[in-house]
Amino acid sequence: MVKSFIPKTLTEAAAIRKETGAVPIAGGTDLMVRYRNIAGTLPTFPWPVMYISNLEELKGISKEHDIVVIKAGTELSVVCESALVHPVLRDAVRQMAAPALRNLGTLAGNICNASPAGDANCVLYALGAEIELATEKSMRRMLLSDFITGPGKTELRADELMTAIRIPVHKETVSFYKKVGTRKANALSKLSCAGLLSVENGTISDMRLAVGAVAPVVVRSAELEKSIQGMNIDKFSENEESLFQAYSDLIVPIDDQRSTAEYRKTVACGLIKEFFRLIKEELS
Amino acid sequence: MDHNLSQDFIHGRIGTPVKRLDAVEKAGGYAKYIADMDFGTVLFSRLIRSTKSRARLVNVSIPPLPEGYYYISRKDIPEGGENRLHMITDDWRVFAEDEVRYIGETIGLLVGPDKSLLLKLESMIEIEYEESIPAFTIDESLNLKGGSIYGDDNLFADYHLQKGAGNIDSVFSGSSRIIEDEICTGFQEHVYMETQGMVGFFEDGKYVITASCQCPFYMRKAVAGVLAVDLDKIVVRQAVTGGAFGGKEHFPDVIAGPLVVALHVIKKPIQIIFDRKEDISFTAKRHPSRIRFKTALDENNKIVGMDIDIAINAGAYQSCSHIVLQRAVFSINSVYDIPNVRIRGRAVATNTFPSDAFRGFGAPQGIFACEMHMSHIARDIGIDDVAFKKYYFTVTGGLTVTNGTIHEDVKLPEMLDKILKASDYERKNLEYGKGNGRAISMSFYNHGGGFTGDGEKEIIKAKVRLKKHSNNQVSIYIANVEMGQGFQTTCSKVAAKVLGIPLADILYETPDTSISANSGPTVASRSMMIVGKLVQTAAEKLLVDWASDSEHTVEVDYVQPDGVEWDGNNFQGDAYPAYGWGICAVEVVVDPITHEVDTEGVWTVHDVGIPIDDLIVHGQVHGGVIQSLGYGSLEKLEIRNGAFYQNTLADYIIPTTMDFPSIHSDLVENPYEHGPFGAKGLGELVFDGAAAAYAAAVQKAIDKKISRIPVNPEYILSLRRK
Amino acid sequence: MQEITFTLNGKIITVTENPSSRLLDILREKLGLTAVKEGCGEGECGACSVLKDGKLVNSCIVPIGAVQGVDIVTLEGIRDTEEGKCIIDSFAESGAVQCGFCTPGMVMASAALLRTTPKPNEYQIREALSGNLCRCTGYNMLITGIQLAAKRGEGIW
Repeated sequence: MVKSFIPKTLTEAAAIRKETGAVPIAGGTDLMVRYRNIAGTLPTFPWPVMYISNLEELKGISKEHDIVVIKAGTELSVVCESALVHPVLRDAVRQMAAPALRNLGTLAGNICNASPAGDANCVLYALGAEIELATEKSMRRMLLSDFITGPGKTELRADELMTAIRIPVHKETVSFYKKVGTRKANALSKLSCAGLLSVENGTISDMRLAVGAVAPVVVRSAELEKSIQGMNIDKFSENEESLFQAYSDLIVPIDDQRSTAEYRKTVACGLIKEFFRLIKEELS
Repeated sequence: MDHNLSQDFIHGRIGTPVKRLDAVEKAGGYAKYIADMDFGTVLFSRLIRSTKSRARLVNVSIPPLPEGYYYISRKDIPEGGENRLHMITDDWRVFAEDEVRYIGETIGLLVGPDKSLLLKLESMIEIEYEESIPAFTIDESLNLKGGSIYGDDNLFADYHLQKGAGNIDSVFSGSSRIIEDEICTGFQEHVYMETQGMVGFFEDGKYVITASCQCPFYMRKAVAGVLAVDLDKIVVRQAVTGGAFGGKEHFPDVIAGPLVVALHVIKKPIQIIFDRKEDISFTAKRHPSRIRFKTALDENNKIVGMDIDIAINAGAYQSCSHIVLQRAVFSINSVYDIPNVRIRGRAVATNTFPSDAFRGFGAPQGIFACEMHMSHIARDIGIDDVAFKKYYFTVTGGLTVTNGTIHEDVKLPEMLDKILKASDYERKNLEYGKGNGRAISMSFYNHGGGFTGDGEKEIIKAKVRLKKHSNNQVSIYIANVEMGQGFQTTCSKVAAKVLGIPLADILYETPDTSISANSGPTVASRSMMIVGKLVQTAAEKLLVDWASDSEHTVEVDYVQPDGVEWDGNNFQGDAYPAYGWGICAVEVVVDPITHEVDTEGVWTVHDVGIPIDDLIVHGQVHGGVIQSLGYGSLEKLEIRNGAFYQNTLADYIIPTTMDFPSIHSDLVENPYEHGPFGAKGLGELVFDGAAAAYAAAVQKAIDKKISRIPVNPEYILSLRRK
Repeated sequence: MQEITFTLNGKIITVTENPSSRLLDILREKLGLTAVKEGCGEGECGACSVLKDGKLVNSCIVPIGAVQGVDIVTLEGIRDTEEGKCIIDSFAESGAVQCGFCTPGMVMASAALLRTTPKPNEYQIREALSGNLCRCTGYNMLITGIQLAAKRGEGIW
């Protein structure tokens, strides 16, 4: 039987993490399901765990200059109601799971789970989100896109806890988000797509495009986005085909019990085309 | 509806709604389902199942068991007992013998007081198999892949029928055009919200089982022979049942068999309750079907003949597959009177989990295929599908595929008028066109109430008993269960109305084989039509001799009404005494990029004779239609390496509140003289048509032929690409 | 094993349990509160819904360790209140109950909704119930039941 802890403070949690490697459980919407057993039995966690959902120090959303800081234990239902949070992220979170699960789950938990099908991840990537990791004695930050390295794999160290998600404030001219779920509510994602476009004086000043669940990690290309900067309608139309092809080459989905590679690829490409159409519309 | 328990129905229309008898108990959380009931100290259990689809069972090695833990298997069946469940056929074994035929087949039962230890012991069991080549699909079965599983030809049933006396082959050779088609449907899981469960104990020489079930008497019959005891040594009591839909008709036998053997050995209370993943993975499903049509048209594009080949995937044991096949065959022309029809029906054996009863019982498969095929013909000849289909509507006196007649008034034209108006079909159809991403279509369907032919007379022989107590309350002792469909309330209403006493004075006694009259199973949409009628008759008898302050018991046996002629050997004549009828219209919008479908509207009109309770009847319509829309659009259940691939509720998806709009439900009245107050069956009718209406609407919206369900976005994409 | 103290249906209680035990199991098996049901054990069906600090949650995935100092309300805690009776009676009169297995969860979800949105429109009702599965009713009469409760219960929430 593994040990379980209920730390009373963040400091205590960090100490327990260091001493035992206990995995932090906030909402439990992933881990309590993955390791569950039959009714009346305990989940079979292969490591010690600590329950941190009641740590007040890990709750809250605030703004530090141009960064919105979402503390790691903040429930999804709080995130989607907060006026500080970017509207596209709120939209994405509102479509995650179901009301009761949003009252338990957290973005941090979702990120650490690192499922390629994680709904909100493509929006967080598009917004250039950073995560904050802390140990007893230190703290570091890194881009979310550097933190998740593969399906179920992150850069989280054995003595670290995720303490916050930090999202730069972003104002775009046009935003685009689509989640394609298995049904209209309480649905796992087959794929998701987030696009943010800023246009100034008929040229693209900023463009971000991220697609989720179509590759081992969220697809976003800084290179392609940079190449689009400064384009006007003519330049963009000229390059549209090769740009589309470049994105298409990054979309490498799989077949699974929810959908097929063919569907995911075709629809992802269709959504990218739709975003490009919105870009052209905005540029003209 | 301001009355607490409206008594208006007693002197007025029976359909005037009452507050359901079980509603407050359930909504307040007081109702105790099997997992809530207190049986004192019980032992828990784990079914040990085959992990191979087809293999010789070489060795089963059980770890040393601590005191108080048991492993029950075939060796524990007592002298004289059989390793067979007496369902309709006797082929389903209680425990696997020398070979296993599907993933999930019961090999043994592990019993003990601590669940965690049971799980640990379960993981230590080692089973050695010698695998052979399994067959999973209808084609693989017909090709005898891996050698035959059953008999020489893998056919549990092979039926040949012909409607009309014409020469089908010459009809075809003389025709102008032949349209060929193949329509397929897949597995469907019941997803009753309460999983399978039962508790058994041994008391006073009897094996007493309390179960979430539809048919206590079926269960008793299924397992008595396993222990070689008389029927009265097995007592089965129904627990409050959280949904069934046919999934608790025969399947509980499969759990009860090992349970009674365990009780025989251990003689202590034992509980078997399934986990959801276990339930999806290891219970019977709706039969997949593959139905092929060859339809001959004359020079005016009128149907002059049909040649139909129906195949259903029965899985590894026959269970009731031949009866499901019969209903698929009998429903293959839906509401149409089509001349010169030749039908072949086969139920094939495969190495998949045996399929069994599920609301509709073969009719949804037959009707889906018929409706889609008719819409394909309409498409091919360039007519709107509704306009095409209505030409073939049967009428009173119309011939059925079994050369019987439709005896009742057929209200289809009136129903069609109603639904055309309610859905604004004609204007929309014209405006939306074809292939523009938005469309509306309809399906037409009927469902024969009760057991096929003379099943009620020859096999079931239903009895009901009513007892008047000296305080003037009346108990109903019958076998039909309340499983959500409202039967406890509607049956009680029938008795109350005849007797003229308050509903609160009718006591619907929980079905229990030791005290109930055997009125037969809660299946086949027979409860109200057949048993309700018997209750009405019994109440009328009770009334004749009604004397205050005295006790009086009345029993009534089923008598088949005159005029129903049936030859059960050749399937000729009137398969059913009466039919429920339905029309469902669905309007959809299909997204051009994601191919997701938004259902904008659903309308229905049904003829169920007379509604015994408006709220209950419309509630059944809503539920049946949504369940059918799930079958048609969301519920994909695939077999991967012999096992069900979508085996959690995250992956096997049923409709949520957001997936479909509210259903418009309308009725036409058409009293059936042999039904209680004119009522006919409806429980399955309301499931039979919506999937086809949905598919037909999407078909029009994308202007591509749809030939299978579920019509999910992946399928739509693949069609649009063609 | 740890001592976990929380408020349950208005009373403060302490249980001694492994913190990873599911709240659902503690409620049903240790405390005899069987209104809450297990429909799936994976947070997908809502039959196990309770209120945690006033918010709807699935008790099958809440570990008891997360319940320290928290306020839990089950159906037993609201069915005798004005609010609970209003919802239950409205359900009963609207045909919202068939097999009844999903109903306790639906009552909790309705209570959670009406507390924040006393006059919900159809979309809001559907969204609030979107994590509660029902296989019998097709949801129509659950919606009309909640609309009736909202109408009758003016001032309760």
